Amino acid sequence: MEQTIIIKRFLDELGDMSRFSGRFFSEWFKPRYEIAEFFKQCYVIGYKSLPLIGLTGFIMGLVLTMQLRPSMVDYGVESQLPAIVGIAIVREIGPVITALIFAGKIGSSIGAELGSMKVTEQIDAMEVSGTNPYKYLVVSRVLATTFMLPVLAILSDGISLYGSYLGVNIKGETSALLFWTQVSNSLEFYDVLPAFIKTYFFGFAVGMIGCYKGYNSSKGTEGVGHSANSAVVISSVTIFILDLLAVQITDLLGFN
Amino acid sequence: MAIKTFNNIKLGAFVLTSLLILILLLYMIGRNRNLFGSNYTLKATFENIQGLKAGNNVRFAGIDVGTVKKIEIKNDTLVEITMIIDKKVKNIIRKNAIVSIGTDGLVGNKVVNIIAAKKIGELAKEGDFLPSKKPLDTDDMLKILQKTNADASVVAENLKYTTMHINQSNIIWSILNDTLLYKNLRNSIVNIHQITENANKTVSDIKSVVVNIKNGKGTLGAIITDTVISSNLNKAINKIYNVGKSTDTLVIKLNQITSKINYQINNGNNIIHSIFQDSIIPLRVNQSLENIENASNGLNQNMEALKHSFLFRHYFKKKEKKKLSRIENK
Amino acid sequence: MKTTSITQLTEIPETIMSISNLYKSFGSNNVLINFNLDLLKGKNTVVLGKSGSGKSVLIKCIIGLLKPDSGSIIVYNENIVNLHGAKLDKIRAKVGFLFQSNALYDSMTVKENIEFPLRRHWLKVTQLEVSKMVEEALEDVGLSHTINMMPAELSGGMRKRIALARTLILKPEIILYDEPTTGLDPITGKEIINLMIDIKNKYNTSALIISHDMNCVRWAGDRIIILLEGKCYAMGTYEELKNSQNQKIKQFFD
Repeated sequence: MEQTIIIKRFLDELGDMSRFSGRFFSEWFKPRYEIAEFFKQCYVIGYKSLPLIGLTGFIMGLVLTMQLRPSMVDYGVESQLPAIVGIAIVREIGPVITALIFAGKIGSSIGAELGSMKVTEQIDAMEVSGTNPYKYLVVSRVLATTFMLPVLAILSDGISLYGSYLGVNIKGETSALLFWTQVSNSLEFYDVLPAFIKTYFFGFAVGMIGCYKGYNSSKGTEGVGHSANSAVVISSVTIFILDLLAVQITDLLGFN
Repeated sequence: MAIKTFNNIKLGAFVLTSLLILILLLYMIGRNRNLFGSNYTLKATFENIQGLKAGNNVRFAGIDVGTVKKIEIKNDTLVEITMIIDKKVKNIIRKNAIVSIGTDGLVGNKVVNIIAAKKIGELAKEGDFLPSKKPLDTDDMLKILQKTNADASVVAENLKYTTMHINQSNIIWSILNDTLLYKNLRNSIVNIHQITENANKTVSDIKSVVVNIKNGKGTLGAIITDTVISSNLNKAINKIYNVGKSTDTLVIKLNQITSKINYQINNGNNIIHSIFQDSIIPLRVNQSLENIENASNGLNQNMEALKHSFLFRHYFKKKEKKKLSRIENK
Repeated sequence: MKTTSITQLTEIPETIMSISNLYKSFGSNNVLINFNLDLLKGKNTVVLGKSGSGKSVLIKCIIGLLKPDSGSIIVYNENIVNLHGAKLDKIRAKVGFLFQSNALYDSMTVKENIEFPLRRHWLKVTQLEVSKMVEEALEDVGLSHTINMMPAELSGGMRKRIALARTLILKPEIILYDEPTTGLDPITGKEIINLMIDIKNKYNTSALIISHDMNCVRWAGDRIIILLEGKCYAMGTYEELKNSQNQKIKQFFD
């Protein structure tokens, strides 16, 4: 009995979320366009996340390289270290780690911001002021996350590779040119493009779930906290699910 | 308002940077795959491409100059590959350059190697077919050797038949009862036999040597490219050839003589008797037989010289060793 | 007949909004049951009711944030219940709404907060005009010095005044106040009440005030309606209702 209630609640929430997302597609291309708000959100969501994502990306590249080195030495393919790390970062670690950090930072902030706006009637106030709050708040934020996460992921890839370059040079000696040549030699279009495309979906998921949770926040400060928390949890899980789907689709299309 | 503009500038720089990184990354990958920039195509055909795939690298003198664009099966024994080659090497790759398929490293991808031929040929143009080298295949090598052996044995058989014919000619046997004549004749024939056998062997040996040279095997291959040595070798082969020719004429002459004798015997007239009575004729025969002997000796000497020629020394030594080992085995 | 109706018209102020037969329920909870109300021009009408009696639901139905199950709300010859989109926004531009929690945008300065409705309603005004109108609205509420501050820096009373200024910027003819004095100390509450009266006198606005604060009901209300059991239970002036013998009405004034 309890299980059916849980399942019912889950399905109810999923359906609600789908409807909420569906509204995005029916509204985003209709006027009026909240362009100024979109750019503002791009600045807040994208640019302001760069230091955090850059730092994690850098550490990720450096650590991955240092962790991989011993086994590469064991197999006698130490010279292939840049190639392996390059593929790992560009294909998987760059997009996913960036998306997770992004979910942690932006998902929670969107959830909390919209949650508190909901609780203090700011969303209603917008509606009364002749503004479609869904467009003004949700569409602009979801578009911003959708377009900013790929940008962040690419920058993070670049910074990660720089970290990896330093990691290679801690114990070995590889010129920047050789490192770069090795990395780009090991990469194919089919490595870069699916990884790039899936970040759009990650960004969309983070923005959408954050907005949904905030927009449907229950009254009170507890509701806001809950919105922020569940936005992060659900968007993190969704990122992994999307990643799984992405790898299967690219595999199906023969891009692997 | 000023703050907003400044924020927009920062946002713009942020997006632009990532765009540049993406473009750079794609460009680097694209450059490796020859998707940008000018290039031209070359083709080659293979019986077996050993798992080569579109996108594999093409190397000229070990440098990446392009990629395999397309692989097409033309028929059951022919696969055509199309390669995209960087225009930069258009003035370097020639039409007679040899294309082969190799492996990058021990477990790496397949690569197409273009190796320049020693002879300077025409420059390869768009869409040209380059000659391909079959991958080194021991099976094929053994097949060729076997064929050579078969050829040699046919030649030997023919010679054997001829000499046997001469040997078994009872008429000559019975008629030439002049011991000296008979002895000489026999010696000569034995000599001829030996010579022809030697010649046969040498010819087959040379044949196999030539085959090996053709396949570019061993130091000989390298040596042969030296024009001086090759002219020497030419001379030696010519000599052998000439000797063989003279042997031929000798045998013909001998044939004529024996047929004459035959004829006279068959006709049963006294001419034969008169011939034998005539001391000049046997003498002549003797002389001619002596000539044959001399000639064959000369041939033997030639063969000996050939044996000692530094070019073939190694080869004959090997032969000797083989013989020895065979005897030991027996 | 004719003459009486003419005299009635001169006596009774014009009806600016008329709510009739309004029903609204949430699930099995019937909040409004056949609610009727006429808002008179130039008068402050107070709706008095207990918490959870459906006062906020009523006011949100009027502004179109909630759709009633049935009934009609006629403002400027338009039935708000059936309107959406641009048409609804057009009505909303003429109807001010002061939220209980002020609903000031945390991410914007006071100036941006106040000019927000002005910019959002597609009104063709220049930057200079906007600045002038913002200053005027701030002057009305007596907080001109806060123009570049953030809402978080302001006290509760100041925030309420800023919210009022934001409502006033569009020069509405009807203002809906959702519990304007709730959460404020009595002195500040009195200031807000005085402000409401000043605004009514200055701009000749009609107001619908929802409250359970007796000070507000007493001073700001020209006409008082008691919302009970989802209906307009009683109507009259403060004095009339206070002297009522009905127990259900009396409980509000004890």
